[in-house]
Amino acid sequence: MGELCRLQQEHMTEQPTILLLEGICKRFGALEVLRGIDFTAKKGEVVAMIGSSGSGKSTLLRCVNLLETPTEGRLVFKGEEIAFHQTAQGQQPSNPEQLRRLRSNLSMVFQQFNLWQHMTIIENVMEVPIIVQGRGRDEVRAEALELLDKVGISDKAKNFPAQLSGGQQQRAAIARALAVCPEAMLFDEPTSALDPELEQEVMKVIRDLAEEGRTMLLVTHDMGLARDVANKVVFLNQGLIEEQGTPAEVFDNPRSTRLQQFLRASAA
Amino acid sequence: METFFGSALDYDYVGAWAYITNGKHLGWYASVRWTLGAAILGAGFALFFGLAGAMMKRSRNMLIEAIGSGYVVMVRGVPDVLFLISFPLAFEVGIETLLAYTQCTLEERAGVLWPPCVGAQWALSDIEYFLMASVSLGLVYGAFCANVIYGALCAVPHGQIESAIAYGMTPRQILYRVHLPQMWVYALPGLSNVWLLLLKATSLLSLLQIADIVQWAERLGAPNYFSFAGLVHGDWRWRYYLVLFVFYILMTMVSEWGFSKLTRRVSRGMATQGGGDAG
Repeated sequence: MGELCRLQQEHMTEQPTILLLEGICKRFGALEVLRGIDFTAKKGEVVAMIGSSGSGKSTLLRCVNLLETPTEGRLVFKGEEIAFHQTAQGQQPSNPEQLRRLRSNLSMVFQQFNLWQHMTIIENVMEVPIIVQGRGRDEVRAEALELLDKVGISDKAKNFPAQLSGGQQQRAAIARALAVCPEAMLFDEPTSALDPELEQEVMKVIRDLAEEGRTMLLVTHDMGLARDVANKVVFLNQGLIEEQGTPAEVFDNPRSTRLQQFLRASAA
Repeated sequence: METFFGSALDYDYVGAWAYITNGKHLGWYASVRWTLGAAILGAGFALFFGLAGAMMKRSRNMLIEAIGSGYVVMVRGVPDVLFLISFPLAFEVGIETLLAYTQCTLEERAGVLWPPCVGAQWALSDIEYFLMASVSLGLVYGAFCANVIYGALCAVPHGQIESAIAYGMTPRQILYRVHLPQMWVYALPGLSNVWLLLLKATSLLSLLQIADIVQWAERLGAPNYFSFAGLVHGDWRWRYYLVLFVFYILMTMVSEWGFSKLTRRVSRGMATQGGGDAG
């Protein structure tokens, strides 16, 4: 499956930076959700973002593909600075073409799956490559079937999302995300809407992707998943990165009391 | 009982058949084309104005939003009968005013006659009246459609739109690929109401001098005391109107059937009560 999207794993050399965030702030009116986040993700890195509800981890992820526009701060994608301009409502992206290029290179997997209800599973997977990336239908169909096979739901290709279980829907959403050959994948609490059994089947797919060397940003409440798949764990607290490091550093050797508290509560 | 059967047997079926298939009656049946034509064409216009109005109402541009909202509020507030008779008249006078400037002399325009000269007279044919009636129906019921479609667009779950944004679709692609296709399932019940109102409003076509089924029924049913003009009968209008009742009820039933087919079609896959088991 590694040859899909010409994914290359280069073990020896220093990996290029895919994403660079600098001084990201996000305010909703008087509410400060993010208060100056600096953060990089290198090619092949799996970054898990943890933190309690309201810590800003989902907002941070949504700032990466600009579903939320950061009030302040820089965003650099593969060396290309995303252009902003100031308006009365604050900073806005100024180049729609660049914005779409950024978004079609960062595919998102949502907590509530958000598969398009009126399309079959295979149509969901084929939609973005054909409509946004302008690729040929036959080539995309063949690849979509391969991807559905990879996530283990090729028999559901002609079904509608509502006819699938939550776990199957989330795996279809992952296939949709893979179909665009993303530079990085953004997971927004992908297992939070699933019961434990269905959670396992989705986690297995995510684990496989991590082993393939995909670049992934993963917001999760599941400490087991974070420890398992991530090479970097970021702990957010009140809109700031409180601690980051390898899973071993963060989970086995938490320095701040806030993280110690959080981990105790999560383990309980 | 005997008299009942007797009269049933004595009844002049051949004469009755000849009466209801005479030229005038055939003209009546053929006039259904105006009614159904105006309904279908009017519905097309209504859908067009409805989609346009709903889009305008959702616009972030305040001026466009105000035009959309203004259309919905004002046109819904005007009685359809009034709109149906005033819009074609206004349109006609407007065209004649334009013609007057190019066709008539200054002195003619200063006079009290309307139109000021023969060249500025715009005589409308049946077809033109019919088209204007359809546009009027479209404008009136388009305002109702706009509100229905506006509500349906708002009812599409935000996550559906958000994932389209997140994958880099353009606003146009989002509208045509996700938002509009998903809107129908929420809009159809409301649109079927509007369609039935519009269908029934076609009975007002005679107000625009179109010889529709209502006008024919009125003429045919009017009392006739002269045998040279056909069958002599008293005021039979109620009988003819009764036929119209049946006609409109039949049309309603056909519409209901059509809408249930449509609903099934647009609910495919949609996680609504109607679409949960479909596909």
